[in-house]
Amino acid sequence: MSLMEKYPKEVKQILAKYPPEFKRSAVMPLLYLAQRGEGYVTKSAMTEIARALDITETEVASIIGFYTLYHDKKEGRYRMQVCADLPCALRGADKFLAELCGNLGIRVGETTPDGTVTLESVACLAACDKAPMFQIQSPDGIEYHENMTIDRTMELVEALKRSGQEGR
Amino acid sequence: MADVTLTIDNKQVTVPAGTLVVDAAKRAGLDVPVFCYHPKLEPAGMCRMCLVEIGRPMLDRATGKPVLDEAGEAKIQFMPKLETACTNPVSEGMVVKTQLTSEKARAGQKGTVEFLLTSHPLDCPVCDKGGECALQDLTMAHGPGQSRFLFDEKQRLAKQLPLGELIWLDRERCIQCARCIRFQDDIAGESVLGFEERGRMMQIVSMSEPGFDSIFSGNTTDICPVGALTTSDFRFGARPWELNAAPSICAQCPVGCNLTFNTRREAKADGQIVIKRVMPRQNEQVNEIWMCDKGRFAYHYVESEKRLTRPLMRRDGKLAKVSWKAALDLAAEKLSEHKKNSVTLVSGRLSNEDLYNLNIFAGKTEAILYTDMGGGDLTSLVGVSDGTNIGDMGKGDAILVIASDLYNEAPIWWLRIKAAAERGATLIVAGGRAAKLDRFATFTIRYAYGDEIKTIEDLGGKSKIAEAFRKAENALIFYGSDGLGLAGSTSLAAACANLLKETNHIGRRNNGLVGVWPRVNDQGAWEMGFRPTADLAEALKGKAVYIVGADPAGDDPALAKALKSAKFVVVQDISMTATAELADVILPAQPHTERAGTFTSGERRVQRFYPVVPAFGESRPDFSITAQLARQMGIILEGSSLPIVFDFIAHSLPAFDGLNYDRLAEVTEQWPMVGRGDMYYGGTTYENKDGLGAHLSSAAQRGETFKLPAAKNVKPLRPKEGELLAVPVTQLYDLGNTVASAELLAQRIGAAAISLHPETAGKLGAADGETVKISWNGSQSEVRVRTDEGLAAGVALVPRSFGIALREPMTLTVKPAKKVK
Ligand code: SF4
Ligand code: SF4
Ligand code: FES
Ligand code: FES
Repeated sequence: MSLMEKYPKEVKQILAKYPPEFKRSAVMPLLYLAQRGEGYVTKSAMTEIARALDITETEVASIIGFYTLYHDKKEGRYRMQVCADLPCALRGADKFLAELCGNLGIRVGETTPDGTVTLESVACLAACDKAPMFQIQSPDGIEYHENMTIDRTMELVEALKRSGQEGR
Repeated sequence: MADVTLTIDNKQVTVPAGTLVVDAAKRAGLDVPVFCYHPKLEPAGMCRMCLVEIGRPMLDRATGKPVLDEAGEAKIQFMPKLETACTNPVSEGMVVKTQLTSEKARAGQKGTVEFLLTSHPLDCPVCDKGGECALQDLTMAHGPGQSRFLFDEKQRLAKQLPLGELIWLDRERCIQCARCIRFQDDIAGESVLGFEERGRMMQIVSMSEPGFDSIFSGNTTDICPVGALTTSDFRFGARPWELNAAPSICAQCPVGCNLTFNTRREAKADGQIVIKRVMPRQNEQVNEIWMCDKGRFAYHYVESEKRLTRPLMRRDGKLAKVSWKAALDLAAEKLSEHKKNSVTLVSGRLSNEDLYNLNIFAGKTEAILYTDMGGGDLTSLVGVSDGTNIGDMGKGDAILVIASDLYNEAPIWWLRIKAAAERGATLIVAGGRAAKLDRFATFTIRYAYGDEIKTIEDLGGKSKIAEAFRKAENALIFYGSDGLGLAGSTSLAAACANLLKETNHIGRRNNGLVGVWPRVNDQGAWEMGFRPTADLAEALKGKAVYIVGADPAGDDPALAKALKSAKFVVVQDISMTATAELADVILPAQPHTERAGTFTSGERRVQRFYPVVPAFGESRPDFSITAQLARQMGIILEGSSLPIVFDFIAHSLPAFDGLNYDRLAEVTEQWPMVGRGDMYYGGTTYENKDGLGAHLSSAAQRGETFKLPAAKNVKPLRPKEGELLAVPVTQLYDLGNTVASAELLAQRIGAAAISLHPETAGKLGAADGETVKISWNGSQSEVRVRTDEGLAAGVALVPRSFGIALREPMTLTVKPAKKVK
């Protein structure tokens, strides 16, 4: 189903916000919308957005590629995006991330075998003073988890696994 | 613009205001190293290689006057940090210290190289760019000998990623300068490259279908400062330092791009010299430093297996190899025997010198130019004048493009006219269908095919568009044969010539008429006196025919039929063609890559090309063959010296007056400077050392009086119920003799297909990609349907050189193929 068929009202509302000569700016909210159901932007949605905004698919893809918020592949149900930028690293985020990998048994960029969590390392999330920190991105939205320890994180992962199973 | 004086490395330099520090230094002969900056692109300041110290005169806040030191000199205040020479424009009194005089700049540049190399594979020994690589050269010149970074932390990525079937990407080598992306966005106007990810992970991607969908893609491999982008044609083909360079002219379209063929001796070819790649050669008035992918990749026909190596003669119905003497004797005998009844048919693939000899050879017998486009006599009268340069046109000027899909017919004109429009020129695009150039047009006129003349006449009337054209300081018209045959294009040329005359846009530089010809030297053929004929089949029937560089039988079964009934057929060509199959005598000729000569571009610029590789087999240059044939028939022609033939041309044709081979080989300084030891600056484009060529004068420029013919009003064809209006159009990549042998392009050439508006196709019960049966003028054929929303209802586009012989607009019926069975 195309984006327009799936979310006719939303697409219209988004497009109405931008004057025609700046319509390419609608790419951000449209991508966010396109990602709503599946957790990633499909190739056909990319094409649809490109056509609607008079830009090329490559331009759309490069925006998806730039922002860690957008994805072009189906991966885990939850994306655990750990900030490992310099300020966070100074508070031990890099060590935290390495240990987390060990506990989850996956490397950065990989997904747990049950498909629950994809672990990612991202740039500053504006919570530098509360590192180690990460955000969980899921179909329900974005949630911050700050001043984290490995134990608390693993508890959270267990909880996510359970809710994931219930959700199915 | 006013000039600004500054000091760079203790040297006083005066340059126009607005010049960037890096270019000011370049003009003064001082090289500041760059990676992301390119003189044809807007500065981006992405790589930090061009770090220099910049100081500006200290100003007194109260008076605004420079503060002076004890010696009475202006006090210079240096910025505390290094600045990028590529983003800072010059200012009066500025003092710049480059790496040549500043330890700080040296350290900054050294640091940049060290950073770039933290994640570079340094696989120079297997990299195509090795030897002409900016990163290699600048590392040697400015980099540290050692790295303080960990080898194990380099990015490891799968190498050899095809961006399409023409261009390959090596992501490890990319230094993220975005030159390729900026070229595609700003110069080519086809945004099919982008970055994904960021920071160290940043990589080039292309999402188009087909991959890297641009006809200018090869240029990115020239300006990529590393070996990240390479062409399928040249990858792993040779090392740059093994290559010899021969200057040439592209023979694929009327633009006449200046090129360099790179060659080397090769074991695979038994030690013969072979062509390894084609590179652009700078001519700022023609192709700047660019070329299109057709010119770069389609050249393989010159080395095709179909090349003729020896003369052939028909014996007992079969073609047999014979000596040159035997072949020439027989051809001369038969052509003399039927002298009163003979025809010489030539094409615009030949050089000026060939055509001059051929025209004298034909003498009073019929001489025909093989083409379906007319008007070359008018471009001789009101063509563009000396000094014309699309690159100079902008605000206040106008360019009208009518009945031509320049993107497909003359790519570099498309590129340069787009740029003129972006500089503010009024661009009027008039066509029977949507075209890629529309996007950049100030005004778009969409007419019904058949209304071309009326469209031009309206432009002579009263309307906003007419006004804009009339009032323009300079105006050019590019007319083509999109949807037109010989009659239509001849009329259109007349209408355009009259419009130019009435609006006083002739006889001056950057004014006049340009024909978008199907072949490289059609204009030259017109200048030499050749003319097309309305009924070619009739003209060939029952005659003794001498065909040079043309394949009528391959293009049109009706012409094949006419040739079969000819008395005697002599074919002179470089390869075996359908026409040659019908010949009684075949004379093997050389393509432009094996000999010297000149071509006249659509802008009527005469340019020299030089031999690139040794002659194939026993083939000879056309002008010599014609002279040898002529001698046997008692006509004396120059057959060995091209400069002498050219002198004859210059003496007999006023348009060529004053020109000679030396004059055409002259070079004046061009900006930007490219292709010297500093390939990091302009890319691997070649410097032009062998001639910029020269414009022919037009009759209008010479102040001659002449009368322009009125445009004949051809009654527009309007199809009846159940019929479609079929119009011939040109596709860049087709199945013509000079393209089809490039295997690399097979995918882009695709299969023969007629294009219909989706609704029209729907009515006929044919969907996109389906096969249908078409019938026209007693012929039938099966082709695929492609749907195109940019077409008018009831129109069928038929691509030329795809095996469907449609030489002028015609009505056509279409039936789904399956129902016919
Ligand atoms: S591929 Fe080449 S031109 Fe493009 S960004 Fe990378 S290094 Fe620069
Ligand atoms: S624009 Fe024409 S002349 Fe230039 S490279 Fe392309 S085909 Fe050759
Ligand atoms: S650096 Fe991690 S949140 Fe800012
Ligand atoms: S920043 Fe100046 S050349 Fe790249």
